[in-house]
Amino acid sequence: MQKFKVTFLPDHLTITAEKDKTVLAAAISAGIYLNSNCAGDGTCGRCKVIVNQGQVKSQPNGIITAQEKKNNVYLACLTTIQSDLEILIPDSSRMDKDIQTDSLRCDATIEPGDTPGKNFGFCFDIGTTTISGQLVNLNSKKILGTKTAYNQQAAFGSDVITRIVYAAKTGGLEKLHNALSGTMNQIIQELVSEHKVDLNAVNRIVCSGNTTMMHLLLSMDPAHIRRQPYVPPANFPSVLRAAEAGIQINPQGLLSCVPGVSGYLGGDAIAGVLSSGIYQKEELCILIDIGTNGEIVLGNRDFLVACAGSAGPAFEGSGVTSGMRASSGAIQKVSINKNDFSVKYSTIQDKLPRGICGSGYIDLLSEMLASGIIDKSGKIKVTGKRIRSSDNGGEFVVCFKEEIQAQADIVINEADIENLKRSKGAIYSACAILVKHLALEFSAISKIFIAGGFGTYLDIEKAIRIGLLPDLERSKFIFIGNSSLAGSREILLSSQARRMADALASKMTYFELSMDSEYMEEYSQALFFPHTDLAKFPTVKF
Amino acid sequence: METQLVLEKWPGVVSTVIIGAKKEAGGSRGNTVTIGGQNSLPLLFKEGAIPHKPKIAFEIWDIAPQDWPEELISAYAGAINDPLAWAEKCVNEFKAELLCVKMQGTHPDFGNKTPESAAKFISLLLNKVKVPLIITGSGDDAKDNLILPACSEAARGQRCLLGCAVQDNYKTLVASVLADGHSIIAESPIDINIAKQLNILISDMGLNLERIVINPTIGALGYGLEYAYSIMERARLAALSGDKTLASPFICFIGQEAWKAKEARVSVEQGIIWESLTATSLIQSGADLLIMRHPCAAQQVNNYIEKLFKE
Amino acid sequence: MALSGLDIYKLLPKTNCRQCGLATCLAFAMQLAKKTLAIEKCPFISPEAKTILEAQAMPAIKLITLGSKESKFDIGNETVMFRHEEKFRNPAGVGFIIEDGLSDSEIRERLRKINQLKFERVGQQLSVNLVALKQNKDASRYLEAVKLFLDNTTLPIMLMSNDLIALKQAVIISQERKPLLYSAQQENFAQMGALAKEFQLPLVVTAQDIDQLSRLTKELNGLGVSELILDTGIKPLADKIWDLTQLRRQALKRSNRALGYPTLAIVEQTDPYLEAMEAGAYIAKYAGLVLIKGWSSWEVLSILTLRQNIYTDPQKPLQIDPKLYSIGQVNRDSPVLVTTNFSLSYYTVLGEVEASKIPAYILSVDTQGMSVLTAWAAEKFNAEAITKSLETCGVKEVIRHKDLIIPGYVAMISGDLQDQSGFRIIVGPKEAAGIPAFLKKLN
Repeated sequence: MQKFKVTFLPDHLTITAEKDKTVLAAAISAGIYLNSNCAGDGTCGRCKVIVNQGQVKSQPNGIITAQEKKNNVYLACLTTIQSDLEILIPDSSRMDKDIQTDSLRCDATIEPGDTPGKNFGFCFDIGTTTISGQLVNLNSKKILGTKTAYNQQAAFGSDVITRIVYAAKTGGLEKLHNALSGTMNQIIQELVSEHKVDLNAVNRIVCSGNTTMMHLLLSMDPAHIRRQPYVPPANFPSVLRAAEAGIQINPQGLLSCVPGVSGYLGGDAIAGVLSSGIYQKEELCILIDIGTNGEIVLGNRDFLVACAGSAGPAFEGSGVTSGMRASSGAIQKVSINKNDFSVKYSTIQDKLPRGICGSGYIDLLSEMLASGIIDKSGKIKVTGKRIRSSDNGGEFVVCFKEEIQAQADIVINEADIENLKRSKGAIYSACAILVKHLALEFSAISKIFIAGGFGTYLDIEKAIRIGLLPDLERSKFIFIGNSSLAGSREILLSSQARRMADALASKMTYFELSMDSEYMEEYSQALFFPHTDLAKFPTVKF
Repeated sequence: METQLVLEKWPGVVSTVIIGAKKEAGGSRGNTVTIGGQNSLPLLFKEGAIPHKPKIAFEIWDIAPQDWPEELISAYAGAINDPLAWAEKCVNEFKAELLCVKMQGTHPDFGNKTPESAAKFISLLLNKVKVPLIITGSGDDAKDNLILPACSEAARGQRCLLGCAVQDNYKTLVASVLADGHSIIAESPIDINIAKQLNILISDMGLNLERIVINPTIGALGYGLEYAYSIMERARLAALSGDKTLASPFICFIGQEAWKAKEARVSVEQGIIWESLTATSLIQSGADLLIMRHPCAAQQVNNYIEKLFKE
Repeated sequence: MALSGLDIYKLLPKTNCRQCGLATCLAFAMQLAKKTLAIEKCPFISPEAKTILEAQAMPAIKLITLGSKESKFDIGNETVMFRHEEKFRNPAGVGFIIEDGLSDSEIRERLRKINQLKFERVGQQLSVNLVALKQNKDASRYLEAVKLFLDNTTLPIMLMSNDLIALKQAVIISQERKPLLYSAQQENFAQMGALAKEFQLPLVVTAQDIDQLSRLTKELNGLGVSELILDTGIKPLADKIWDLTQLRRQALKRSNRALGYPTLAIVEQTDPYLEAMEAGAYIAKYAGLVLIKGWSSWEVLSILTLRQNIYTDPQKPLQIDPKLYSIGQVNRDSPVLVTTNFSLSYYTVLGEVEASKIPAYILSVDTQGMSVLTAWAAEKFNAEAITKSLETCGVKEVIRHKDLIIPGYVAMISGDLQDQSGFRIIVGPKEAAGIPAFLKKLN
């Protein structure tokens, strides 16, 4: 097999790659992660690269415009290596992989670094889109620091199904595992060095995540997760050496996973129940985790029912044109002037805006509805200097690039709105179907715990106005941040919590929604702002 | 009575839609047709008011239809080649009180008539017959957006029913209907949610909910009839329960669907019964306006309706 | 009032022992509420809870079996007012009234025609269910006619007579066939009840109003007869629909056991169109058995098709035979479109292909009745499934190109499908409505 040298700019990384290998595959081999929501099927158009030098072969597609063609722009996934190459990767195609230190809400105090203790642990929340890790002093039970990064697996598709399909390809499982363990090791590395902790003093890791992520972490074939009914494999280990999962801590260190309930309801939901404490409450509670997999748990100390409303990554800032994680420079608050559609916003850490995060999108949608920019189906219905057409339907400019000293405008288009509408619809309808299956009413719920990677800000009022959350008394809502991470920390710190997690997993009743025709009905109803049945949102008026 | 009857009293009522304007209302129609207004499920006369019978409109085209089977064509003898004569025959011979004209000839593939000639045709038709009109486009969204405003303007003040507005293409038609004093057909693809959403979007543009008729998109007997049947039943239950955004009368394009069925083309009798039974089954789930093709089927369904409303 | 899953859960042991085969007691309770599992599955249920749950499980409308052997059929056991609430369970029987005044040869010919009323539609057999013999002449003529019935049809039989002596003789010679007796009324219910009891036969109860009807069924229950069918006599269409609606509501909403039986509707129309439309109305709302006179195949086919539509389970969509269909005058260059075997998907694609006037093949892949996107998510409409279907459907023998048009909604499988099937994949429109324009462009 003929081999060629491929150099990636601006990184100046050179690797040797076989002829006919795709540029995308070569980039991954070089450790460069490109956006690839479609997992290399050539349909999402997010992995554009510029071929500066050399010969490539590319499949025709409808994504590259004639102008781009002239400028040697190619889709990395459909383009194969035919000679030595020099490839420029534009920022817009690169996955946002910088790790961000977030201030997460938690009840433990944050201790300054340089702790002389000898026993440390990590807890992790492993999401489909986002991974959060936390360094904890196991002696003092104090949190030293938390970091969050995008799951590098996103290069292989944005949802669990696409990843499961990818895992079945030759070498797929290994690549997915490496992307995941790589992200985790990076978080561990940065946190230990920041806090001057010796890696050998890190003895324990607890991970909570959806069932697919746990399989991939342990390099187990996730294919059977898609087949009904899902039965967790007998060999699923509760505890193993972290080294076996490719996680670098003390060589004798242990790693355990929070037990899951079913193929689409993982330990993250159990961890959430544990940390929110709904399993101890007398009154009826609901826990809503606004993540890619959208786990919802309803119940109290008598019973617990759960489902997963596959919401997609839009509220984690992925798969939307100007989306980003809740990190520095993300627009998280928006208001729009009804008369001239001018936009006021605030960003995380008050940096110049780089993009829009989940809470920013919730604000933005609510404001666009209130100011009449979009109709209740999410279509732009007015004209103005901030409104123009794009390949993805009408587009609203939130920030012009000149005002923010950036390469591109920050925008939201009709395809983004459609995407966000589906996400909010999936979450709301999953809540509605749980309530319906138990022949209850939303009004019977006393407390609503909202979890998710929203950073520090979530406007419940606006989340209700777009129909993401049910229209209930505002005082019933409690925003608890990353409940999965908090739950895995409890398990890290207490064996009693560990036993409770096991008990909760066997007690929880799971509803599979994918084949539930009533869910499809609820979901279709929720694909409107705030909802097709306006009577369900009596306090919302546009 | 010792057995206590189970009676259902509904808080909601289906909105009343009037099609056609006589001279005193600013139009030139000889009659008007009123549908809706019921606060009971279909056929349950003892439980509430059903003030208006379901109405039948004869379907005609602005050109001679290409794909209608012989069983249909022969029912209109030679008149079908001259749309105006066809319309006249429906009214004079078959006693149609309402016509539904489909502007098929404007479709880019079937004649591509201009907005001007479409408008002219509507003016001629309004002069030729004095019954109220339902006007539908050819189904080509882009072309309909040119044609229907022209037809709307040509029929200004005649209180026609114009269609069909769909979720991705409703604004142009709503604007015309608002300007020219007509009512609108809101079409949704066998989907109660889209029906509701479209009604909300249309009324958000300022068109009163009382000027909307829902086309739930039906399947013929044996071809998905049950989907529309249940969608209509659900929507009507919601309307009677007080949901104003679904409280529009239903229009069902019976003939168009029934004559697609291969069974309908086996014999004249089977074709007529196929169209008739499709119509009456949908009356039972709430149809208010039936667009029909075969005069005998229309006659049969009319007999059925008369019988139903006799008491 | 039906108990909810949560109500039932409170009656269960809450040990999550999994002996019932489900992960938790709550999951089991939900199944009990839907009546998809029996309470016996729980080995630890308390006797008190069992009594409550068994009462809950009793059908509100009794299931009645008519006829015997292969031709028998069930009616009743309906649980909802509207089919979208769950489904209508046991399709209304469709039967024919024949009078004994007809000549022997006329009766034979009529029965021969009725026996032949069998149709196949979208993969289902549609057939008629019953023949009813109505007495107009004397007892001996009635008996002769009964014999003709026994010799000339295997369909279940209904005996319509007010002449108790004739009826008993008819029962004696036909008892093997479990005839349905018509009918017990105020004047004769004791004798009719005794007859039904003696021969263990189902019985129609007739009264003009539902008060009287419920008094009669209670009397008959007292006599030990409980295989009953309710009839409020011949009335104008709207009145009849009112009765049928009221009877269904009494059984379901009031749990009125005296009226918890399937119903009969007899259509008295000479015009076949009106007869079919009226029969259709009763099938939709809420007759268990509909009797007509007309037997022409076009009339009966339309009635049976309506019954098929109304009794289709809304949760389990109708499926079509998964295979290759040719539409119009196809040739070796005709395009091939692939879709699922969900009947509505198929017929929608079919309608648009026909509208395009371009002859084409439609390959319907076995997705167990799921629509395109649902089937894709469940791995039933992916590259493997479509490739397998392409291999076995014989399309390769009838075309000379290698192009396959897939629905726009599954564009993401085009790469895999191309690799696996060897076909060149063309991504078609997302909505079927786009097919005519798409096919024209393709040409």
